Amino acid sequence: MEKVDKKNVLVIDDDDNLRTVLIDKLNMSGFYAVGASNGEEGLKKALKTHPDVILLDIIMPILNGWEMLKELRKDEWGKGAKVIMLTVIENTEAIARAVEDDSLAYLIKTNESMDDVVEKVKMMLRNN
Amino acid sequence: MRKSLILTEHITISSTILIVLLGIVLVSFSLIKDIFINPHRYFSTVLSLEEIQFFVVYTSLIIICVLISFIIYLLLTLRTRAQLMVLNATESLDVSREQFVKIYDGAPVPYVTLDDKGEIRNPNKAALRFFGEVLKEIEGKNLFSYQPKEDLDKTERLFQYYKSKVPINREEMRMITKDGSVKWVLLSVFEMEAFGGSRRTGLATIFDITEQKQLDQAKTEFVSLASHQLKTPVAAIKWYIDMLLSHNLGELSSKQEDYLNIVYKVNEEMIDLIDVLLNVSRVEIGSIKAESKLTNVIEITESVLVELSSQIEEKKLSIDKQYKDNLKNIRSDPKLLRIVIQNLMSNAVKYTPTDGVVTISFKDSFTDKSIIVSDTGIGIPKSEQDKIFTKMFRAGNVHDLKGVQGTGLGLYLVKSIVETMGGSISFISEENKGSIFTIKL
Repeated sequence: MEKVDKKNVLVIDDDDNLRTVLIDKLNMSGFYAVGASNGEEGLKKALKTHPDVILLDIIMPILNGWEMLKELRKDEWGKGAKVIMLTVIENTEAIARAVEDDSLAYLIKTNESMDDVVEKVKMMLRNN
Repeated sequence: MRKSLILTEHITISSTILIVLLGIVLVSFSLIKDIFINPHRYFSTVLSLEEIQFFVVYTSLIIICVLISFIIYLLLTLRTRAQLMVLNATESLDVSREQFVKIYDGAPVPYVTLDDKGEIRNPNKAALRFFGEVLKEIEGKNLFSYQPKEDLDKTERLFQYYKSKVPINREEMRMITKDGSVKWVLLSVFEMEAFGGSRRTGLATIFDITEQKQLDQAKTEFVSLASHQLKTPVAAIKWYIDMLLSHNLGELSSKQEDYLNIVYKVNEEMIDLIDVLLNVSRVEIGSIKAESKLTNVIEITESVLVELSSQIEEKKLSIDKQYKDNLKNIRSDPKLLRIVIQNLMSNAVKYTPTDGVVTISFKDSFTDKSIIVSDTGIGIPKSEQDKIFTKMFRAGNVHDLKGVQGTGLGLYLVKSIVETMGGSISFISEENKGSIFTIKL
């Protein structure tokens, strides 16, 4: 299924339904998307596969989104990895950090359509 | 001391009485002796001039004796009485001091007095318990040295306040105790110079609010968790319907598409309701704190209008925008202001009939800035106008409107948020003519 010309997206979300629909939509939109169900698993996959964009949920078991991001940024590659934080409420911390960090964006799940999510991923990829 | 004074007084009174008695006895003795020697003087029916003189002299002598005794008594007891008065006053002062020390020392709130350098003197027991230190350890330490390093700016500012004799009133700050634990306190320091004494003294009360802070944190975390639990499933519904409606998974019949659109719309209403409920919870537990940053009011209003565009078009409403350029850069909380403008605009659009006008204007005076949202809508009945900011209230005339949903929480939320931001809200409304809501920032 993986193709060299496709951009890789890693979807890290503990909610099976959301993870599945995001992966489906991204695959249908020309990306190669895989998932992880918690921060620890997501961190391992990210450091191993170096995805082009990571969609990262915040509230998760084992390792939450912020903790995972902290670990990711310790890695040489992870420092510049493009990450979109997924939140369900307008999260002041997410907004503030996204303003400070060029490789970080955020989106509010209930405010964005699936097309908006795809557009946000494309936008992150354009900001090279 | 008191006993010896009372004894002295008794002796004085007794001696006085003895002197008086002795005087009377002496006078009486002379009189009795005279009766025995000259009985005819006292038992004749007519008194001679000599006899009258004799009685007058004796009676006067008795009276003089009594008066002299009384004067001697007063002179002798004057000092004793003065000493007793001083003693009584000293005793009541001692009692007051003792009571004050008991209250100060036994008060459950930590108190310390500070010298002019901010160094601690006279900590009470609660203060020793709070800091976990003994008297020797705490006395002489600077009160402003207990703060964590990260709070240095605030500590320095408060120390400057103290040095400049500016009262510190219920300042929220953190303090590190001996065991290394960080506690949240409300610090107040008042000058005591006015109470006498040449040395400057400050009285500091350190009110421990660590538990309240933890409780606030727990409540905030609960709301955050509830947000997550409630919004995750509706986000999933939204995206799955989105996928179906985008025809990525195959074509739908028009009936299927209609139904999915209804489910989508209902789900969006559910998302809005959850947002309102969560915002109300945040306001009620006090976890909403207004920030002050550069805010573009026009940008916020435009984004709200985009959200409401389908309803505006559907009802063919005219939107009269009376913007002013200086509103692009005001100091406010953009997130909270958006909730306020969104609710007022949404109400105006919702309760204004087809072809009506909704106006948003801004006033900028020397003292304050105002946002005014007016409409040509159904208005609020006079009899219900005093209730419109109460929770879950909906005016009687909205129930007749078809397809208009509402929670009765919007204006309650708006008022709470505006007040959190330090502003105020007022309105004028007339049934079937319209309403004007004014927010003073």
